[in-house]
Amino acid sequence: MEATIRLGRTARMVRARSGIRVPFEMTVAERLLIARLKDRDEQAFNEVVRLNGDKVFSLVYRMIGNRAEAEDLAQEVFVTVFKTVDTFRGESKFSTWLLRIAANHCKNRIKYLSRRRTDGGGLDNMAEEHMADAGRAPVQAHIDSPDVLLEAAEMEKLMQAAIGLLEEDHRLLIVLRDVEELSYEEIGEVTGLAEGTIKSRLHRARMEIKEYLAKRTR
Amino acid sequence: MDHKTAAEWFSSYVDGDIPDVDRRALEQHLGICIQCRTELEAFRRTVGGLSALRRQAPETFLPQIQKQIFVRSKGRFFGRRWLLFGRIPFEWVSLAMIIAMLLYYIATLHGSPTGVAPAP
Repeated sequence: MEATIRLGRTARMVRARSGIRVPFEMTVAERLLIARLKDRDEQAFNEVVRLNGDKVFSLVYRMIGNRAEAEDLAQEVFVTVFKTVDTFRGESKFSTWLLRIAANHCKNRIKYLSRRRTDGGGLDNMAEEHMADAGRAPVQAHIDSPDVLLEAAEMEKLMQAAIGLLEEDHRLLIVLRDVEELSYEEIGEVTGLAEGTIKSRLHRARMEIKEYLAKRTR
Repeated sequence: MDHKTAAEWFSSYVDGDIPDVDRRALEQHLGICIQCRTELEAFRRTVGGLSALRRQAPETFLPQIQKQIFVRSKGRFFGRRWLLFGRIPFEWVSLAMIIAMLLYYIATLHGSPTGVAPAP
């Protein structure tokens, strides 16, 4: 019995190292929640939104950079989840499946918004909107001193602007790793990229942000 | 180690994901290179600052989603509920009809003493 378990573990490790995805094992609670969700249980859906709402909203907001758009898009993500939960096969964590949907929605919305901007569709002042949004909720909301508050809000504006200048793929990696604090394995599940690629792209993205901040805060 | 090579290790170093040999080489370089130390500090601040960008969803987030699903499903989901029983499923309606028919049958049975209705 023990030998079988050891062999199973070895096989998983070999498959993981060779890049073959090892099926994710869900907890019983997770399995039950998803089964209820597949039965369109409204309470289960509320629970899913409660557990993942902040994560999805945060991802979308940092990818898009505009609060109103982000609210709309994050809602759309959960509507999609409600509609397509039957396609979830349990091969990855439910939360990463959900973030993959969010990432795809973001990519589509970014394309749509950039088309609208080039068409002169009225989103030319998006950068200013970002600034106003960033000013509303500073990075460190618990700080009381107005000076520090202002400084934190200023820094958030700069960071959001720096993220907005990154390539779309780099932006996603920064948000997943440094804002959402996902592991490399989870990022791989969301993006479908190999760990080495994630690390090198992430490093480039972080360096770009650092350079941007260095230029603006000198 | 030169500045460029040192900078390439910053991400792995900050993530604590650097092989021991490279970590030692980088730390040795950082010990003698003030420029790379400053750069690493700025790099750390950047990564640390990014982690503070997380935002909470607005208070109205869940009700808005429920409303969207309600509208798109044409009222099938997240509609108004009966206070005591929740949404009445089809099975409950069927059961209620069967009981009603049974009661009617029993009532008509008691209406005639023989249990058989007289021929007209």
